[in-house]
Amino acid sequence: MSAALDESDRAESIRMIRDSAAAVVPPGGDMKRVRSLRFQDPGFEAGLFRQMGEMGWIGLRVPEAHGGSGLGLSEMCALAEELGAGLVPEPLIPCALSAGLLSALGGVGPLAQLLTGEKVVLTAWQEKADSLEVPGSPDAPRRFLPMAAGADIFLLPVREGGRIALYEQPAARAQVTVERTQDGGNFGTLQPKLGDAKKLADDVGEALAQGLDEAALVTSAYLLGVMERAFAMTLDYLKTRQQFGRVIGTFQALQHRAADLKMQIALTRASVEAAAATLDAGATGDARRAAVSRAKARASEASMLVTRQAIQLHGGIGYTDEYDVGLYLRKAMVLANQYGSAALHRRRFMAVSPEVEE
Amino acid sequence: MDAVTIPPPDQLDSLDDDSFRLVVREFLRQNYPEELRNPPHRLHWNECKDWYHKLAEKGWLCPGWPKEYGGLGLSPSKQIILTEEYERYGVARTPDHGIVMLGPLVIRYGTEEQKKRFLPKILTGEHIWCQGYSEPNAGSDLAALRTEAVLDGDHYVVNGQKIWTTLATDANWIFLLVRTDKQAKKQEGISFLLVDMKTPGITVKPIINLELHDEFCEVFFDNVRVPKENLVGQLNKGWDMAKALLGFERIFLGSPRQSAYALSRLKILAERMGVWEDETFQDRYARLRLDLEDLKALYGTFVVKLKRGESLGPDVSMLKIIQTELFQRITDTMLEISGENAGLLEPMEGNRDLNIGGLFIQARPATIYGGSNEIQRNILSKNVLGLPG
Repeated sequence: MSAALDESDRAESIRMIRDSAAAVVPPGGDMKRVRSLRFQDPGFEAGLFRQMGEMGWIGLRVPEAHGGSGLGLSEMCALAEELGAGLVPEPLIPCALSAGLLSALGGVGPLAQLLTGEKVVLTAWQEKADSLEVPGSPDAPRRFLPMAAGADIFLLPVREGGRIALYEQPAARAQVTVERTQDGGNFGTLQPKLGDAKKLADDVGEALAQGLDEAALVTSAYLLGVMERAFAMTLDYLKTRQQFGRVIGTFQALQHRAADLKMQIALTRASVEAAAATLDAGATGDARRAAVSRAKARASEASMLVTRQAIQLHGGIGYTDEYDVGLYLRKAMVLANQYGSAALHRRRFMAVSPEVEE
Repeated sequence: MDAVTIPPPDQLDSLDDDSFRLVVREFLRQNYPEELRNPPHRLHWNECKDWYHKLAEKGWLCPGWPKEYGGLGLSPSKQIILTEEYERYGVARTPDHGIVMLGPLVIRYGTEEQKKRFLPKILTGEHIWCQGYSEPNAGSDLAALRTEAVLDGDHYVVNGQKIWTTLATDANWIFLLVRTDKQAKKQEGISFLLVDMKTPGITVKPIINLELHDEFCEVFFDNVRVPKENLVGQLNKGWDMAKALLGFERIFLGSPRQSAYALSRLKILAERMGVWEDETFQDRYARLRLDLEDLKALYGTFVVKLKRGESLGPDVSMLKIIQTELFQRITDTMLEISGENAGLLEPMEGNRDLNIGGLFIQARPATIYGGSNEIQRNILSKNVLGLPG
């Protein structure tokens, strides 16, 4: 198991994952593919999603016994960071959540087709905005399903007695309305229909709570990649753009602002990597929740700050759709509040974290 | 109370300010199309030309122009009231560069012949003007502009490129700042040139902005021949003229209206999201609300100066900074409280009052255009605080 890897093996494993991400994140940050998929259905490439399956990414966290790669959150976060830098739109994070659930239940349902990337399987857990609660109401519409326009199967948590059971509902006959998102993708709203659904398990509550925490952390890592690349583009611009006879990066007011952004990125990286290590070391319950909430609160806020300032520091060119830095702002707008906003995670952190004694 | 009657345009300037305000309200109620209130983006000519023609027909098109040229001859004080009421009603901006910029330029610096040739056609809507100032390498440092005009017989030959030209696709004339002396200090070799957009050699290319709207354009000039009588004012004095045109209108960049509109929508959103009663939200909202009230008070002190007939100093830069950054903080807050709805491309639930991402993106360029907030802070530190450098 991953937690048993020693430190140098771990670093090597993370480096390999980062290298493998280059297969879908073009070097030099070419956004041609990303742009061609924007505001079209389904918003991503099914073929590339299958490629992710072949590379073992969808089941990166799934134990080898269930057909996964059996790696840890440190590897998953490293991968997500690379994908974030390239604004990769394929729904890896929500599908990895589904894979984690099906694996935790013993490898049930469409796990095999999901791991190969043949089927896009989305877990329809959410009933209201900015929440990590899973009420499991049988009839309530499930909201904010990422890339639902390309879904094949929905996993439907439903409260039965004191437990949350899990059903599988095919997307083919499902009633789904789709709204476009700022990053060019989409959110679906599913009207559950238990008559069309097949029961997979009786109690998915704890697996789902853990899966949502992991999705929040991996989203933080994706946002880290978003802000790193937006910041790198901004630094390049500060070093090359000339006004008043010199490069604008020589103006101290702009230097200080860039330094402030760098510090927020450094804090985000430290927080995300610490949380991943904490979870890989086996943290559960409040310890897990505290680590994840710290990372997501930081990543959500910092990613909005960095991408907003990236536009400002670029001036007029940053406000054009043609220049790529705006794509990073739009991605942050969609992900900053997914799997919990900064405010939600700050509240949760205070609720679950013991006070530090000095 | 008696119904408000609208006096003929040439009598508007003699009303007292309070009556004038009521007249403007009534005028808008009677004439402004309901469906154009608070449009989500800058309107194109074909969307607002009926309103433009209505203003022209009623004689209300050019509030600041002297009456002898077909304007209303309003004092700055009444022009501010007019703008306040337009903003309050959610009146869309028309392609107004002819009204606000070119008209006053020609009235102040143009020849009699230029006045006769250009002013009436602005009033009829036959000429729609756009402004060619910024260039790819001359943004904050506008005086570095390089589009050049070289005299060749009776014509200037123009070569170069302008950018951020608002609604150039709708315009049929453009006023340009061009370089006419490459040897002089950069502010001293610039002239003002009026160019028919149909002249061969001009290419207009729309720029899609982050709102996914084609408000701005690039305009390219390739050996464009412009009759030399289209030069306004003295050769090489264009920079001074452009600066002199930046009159009391600078106050409008600091008008609290944008922030007031956004704050009212933040309240609607907070109620919809169920956080309105929340104590921490109330504290954040109170902070924004107080910033808005204090901005209104500060704005008021500048208005009072204008009403006394004083001109604005460099300290007006404060208004622009405070207003635009408040507008941004309000829309940042909208994103922060709306959960996943923050990522929606269209207004939440199809309700234009819940246009979360749209307003957030609209607020972004406010700190960039009209002199970026970095430039405004330079003005404050050098020209108001007297700091060296």
